[in-house]
Amino acid sequence: MESYLLTIITVLPLVGAVALLIIGRGAHPNENNLKWTALFFSLATFVLSIAIPLGFRATGGLQFDANKEWISAFQLGVRYHVAVDGLSLWLVLLTTFIVPVALIASWNSIHSRLREYLVCILALETGMIGVFIAQDMFLFYLFWEVMLVPMYLLIGVWGGERRIYAAIKFVIYTVVGSLLMLAGIIALYYMHGGATGNFTFDIAAITSDLKSGSFVLTLAQQRWLFWAFALAFLIKVPLFPFHTWLPDAHVEAPTAGSVILAGVLLKMGTYGLMRFNLPMFPEASHAYATLICTLAVIGIIYGALVAMVQPDMKKLVAYSSVSHLGFVVLGIFSFTEQGMQGALYQMLNHGVSTGALFILVGMVYDRRHTRMIAEYGGLANVMPVYSALFLVVTLSSIALPLLNGFVGEFLILVGTFTSQALPYAKLFATFASLGMILSAVYMLWMYQRVIYGEVTNPENKRLTDINGRERLVLAPLIILIFVMGIYPTYFLARSSHAINVIKNFVNPSSFANTQNQSHQVAQTGDSVGQQEKSGE
Amino acid sequence: MEKLGISYQAILPETILSLVAIVIMMIDAFARRIERKVAGVISLIGLLAAGAALLSLWGKNGETSYSGMIVTDNFRLFFGLIFIIVAILILLISLRWVEDENLPKGEYFALLLFATTGMLFMSAANDLVMIFLGLEITSIATYVLCGYRRNDLRSNESAVKYFILGSYSTAFLLYGIAMLYGASYKATATPVATTNLMLLKERIATGQIYSYEMLFAGAALMLVGFGFKIAAAPFHVWSPDVYEGAPTPITALLSTGSKASAFAAFARVFVLTFAVAPVAMNASGVLANFQTTITNTLIVMAILTMTLGNFVAMVQTNIKRMLAYSSIAHAGYALVGLAAGDWSSVAFYMLGYVVINIGAFAIIEVIARRGDKRTEISDYAGIGFKSPGLAAALSLFLLSLAGIPLTAGFMSKLLVFKSAWAAGTNNKFFYYLVVIGVINSAVSWYYYLRVIVAMYFSESTVEFKAPVISRSLATGLIIAILGTLYLGVLPGNILNALERARDSIAMKK
Repeated sequence: MESYLLTIITVLPLVGAVALLIIGRGAHPNENNLKWTALFFSLATFVLSIAIPLGFRATGGLQFDANKEWISAFQLGVRYHVAVDGLSLWLVLLTTFIVPVALIASWNSIHSRLREYLVCILALETGMIGVFIAQDMFLFYLFWEVMLVPMYLLIGVWGGERRIYAAIKFVIYTVVGSLLMLAGIIALYYMHGGATGNFTFDIAAITSDLKSGSFVLTLAQQRWLFWAFALAFLIKVPLFPFHTWLPDAHVEAPTAGSVILAGVLLKMGTYGLMRFNLPMFPEASHAYATLICTLAVIGIIYGALVAMVQPDMKKLVAYSSVSHLGFVVLGIFSFTEQGMQGALYQMLNHGVSTGALFILVGMVYDRRHTRMIAEYGGLANVMPVYSALFLVVTLSSIALPLLNGFVGEFLILVGTFTSQALPYAKLFATFASLGMILSAVYMLWMYQRVIYGEVTNPENKRLTDINGRERLVLAPLIILIFVMGIYPTYFLARSSHAINVIKNFVNPSSFANTQNQSHQVAQTGDSVGQQEKSGE
Repeated sequence: MEKLGISYQAILPETILSLVAIVIMMIDAFARRIERKVAGVISLIGLLAAGAALLSLWGKNGETSYSGMIVTDNFRLFFGLIFIIVAILILLISLRWVEDENLPKGEYFALLLFATTGMLFMSAANDLVMIFLGLEITSIATYVLCGYRRNDLRSNESAVKYFILGSYSTAFLLYGIAMLYGASYKATATPVATTNLMLLKERIATGQIYSYEMLFAGAALMLVGFGFKIAAAPFHVWSPDVYEGAPTPITALLSTGSKASAFAAFARVFVLTFAVAPVAMNASGVLANFQTTITNTLIVMAILTMTLGNFVAMVQTNIKRMLAYSSIAHAGYALVGLAAGDWSSVAFYMLGYVVINIGAFAIIEVIARRGDKRTEISDYAGIGFKSPGLAAALSLFLLSLAGIPLTAGFMSKLLVFKSAWAAGTNNKFFYYLVVIGVINSAVSWYYYLRVIVAMYFSESTVEFKAPVISRSLATGLIIAILGTLYLGVLPGNILNALERARDSIAMKK
């Protein structure tokens, strides 16, 4: 059964972008018309996307399929195949939700080249949705790369002082990773085609052939492919030590850019790990789990420590992202259902909470044009509503029970702690918990310095509390923070099937005695490698 | 080869173009003053007629004519159509330019058509002598065109450099041809020695070779000659200077048509005649040794060319020079496909590359204004919002050169890397070649983005007024934009045709 819903959702923002290019012609287009048009299209996309979870069968695999032949020559077997499963369902919704929020949040902050700005955001939305729904590696790569251009322009044109440096760094980091992924995609395509005679880029086809054994990758091959893919994703996440592009990009990007970057773009990395690396290269994933988890835990603690000493609020939030995303990676490589469910949930939480934090920082930045913590103090006196909402978001970010962050981080820690497959699992879980404490330190300390105390800086005395539009932006985020904290079952129930599928791929039943098995595979893999060498 | 095999249809495209060129020169000589539009329209009609004549030859699978000098197969037709597209686009982007620069129009169009004729002969050649003839026809026409702005020192320097180095490299090619002729000597056969490619192929394949040393030497010398024409490292040194000094539309012609035609001849000789393809590493025998040696040489050449082109392009400040190095890098990518022994990926690469590159040069030509004055990257500062159409189009072309999906640049890179990976089962070096290729692509983003940075992220330092775009140039640009997108989004039809062409030629083996 073909469904066009996903295609419509993907294309709709692009239609909006084209509409903006048409109505925005002329020297002085009406700013409001442009903004409302953009908002209309992104809201329409969101409304349509609500139909996805409503029609989603929690126990089903890929749904809302559309699968058409695209390029068949030269055995390319490229198909236009889009669908959602439990893994991508909520990420698609997060995307369609964050974009209108980001648009309203930056309603009055952009005046120069407004039309181009809105076009970039809408084009970006198309790319992001596309990444999450693509079920064909070719299509996935296509969206992954095309999305770079609008983000690059967003940082470069509407960013802060060091925007050019930040924009180029962002692109080069991403491109280096993604081109290696392209090499990996070509390699995987050939190996699969050679083994099964079916030359295809279809993700599900390749994973199921791997599972059924009609297509076997040796451990040596898995290791290469694992890194070809993982490097692209880990740079995007970003895992320590590939994280250095992130603070630059976040600090220089305009508010909406930061919100989208933190809210959605970073998740593409962790999504990729769960979509490609775990199911396709299970042995290699186990082999490198210790290394990656070590880096993740270093990232959690390092990100938190660096965040603690940041004088700049936006940079603080950026480094807190490094820390939070470390949790997600840890959860993924725990190979347990709780860990991976928690990772997926934490991706959504991070999107909502960090998005909200960037919006909150943007609100005071719009008023004072500074993000330095030292410039503020005692905002509770002049901006009470703002301060209250800020508190909720802060607590959500440090994972207070009943708020969303708690569910994700708790699941990740439980999953990691109980993991059988991950060596030193308890050690990792312990150190990660330390990161949770640190996150409370830096967030609350920042909150205290900005909000509490007396108003020391006379300029802050004239600050006005947030207006109706700003409340409207924060309201849905705050509601989600509570809903996701109190009733996570609604979300988790829909993703659990997909997570279990991944879990079965990465922990095959024959894999029960992990150590032994991987040892054997390592031996056979090595002997294959030796044969290859002697062949040369 | 007893028959002469005269077939006027087989050389109809070339005949049409030469006749039209002669007619234009005659009109120029006898009419008082030739109107730009008349010459332009006549040339355009001639090119379209030649294209139609090429299409009428479709499906003739490897017929030879003129004592085996000319071959008609889909290889020829595919490359021939690329040259026709190049010529039409160059014509469109320079129609107004010749007028503005006050250059003699008649000769310009005639030379352009002669150059195209030479290119068509190169792809149609079934004889080393014919390849040489085609190469010379193209080269002489382009030597003149490089120096076409004769009052400009840069243009003169460009022409002289190109002429001297070009003649020198042609000598290598000719020497290589002589060597191959000698290598094919066989006392009992008729003819005793040959430059005919089909006979050469047969003798090489069956081992009827007088001297393998001469075969090696001949192939090496020809490699130098072709390497020069495609601007592959280490024979590339001429290209940045020549590209920078030549009038912009001619730079476009050099970096696309002339390069693609050299690739056509290169592929005809090395892939289709020597059957250079990755042979299994453990294959033995002098023939396998020959093929492996050539393949490995091509791999090294491809790596050198890509890497050098990309890294040197990063530090350029002049956009024409930067695109010259980028053009070197792209020759390197195409060499990847050639080394893998897959001419169809090279053909598609060239098709994509010519469309994108001519588009980019069209914009450079408009921005540079009269006298090619503004070609520094800093001249592009801040034009992004002053001339949005041009800047957006240039961004598209540059990103496509960098290889962003949904454009021609990505599809063509994908195809060459794909064929290289397939070759890896026989020769492990190809895996490294692919990895080096993708790392190079990542590097190339840096310098293509620099122009976009200048256009969108910087404020203009000099006064910039949006240039006037003539209708013909706009048409050329639109064709280039649509072509770039068409080849990137819906390459299916062309790839299918190319696949059939490849298979039909492979079948004949």
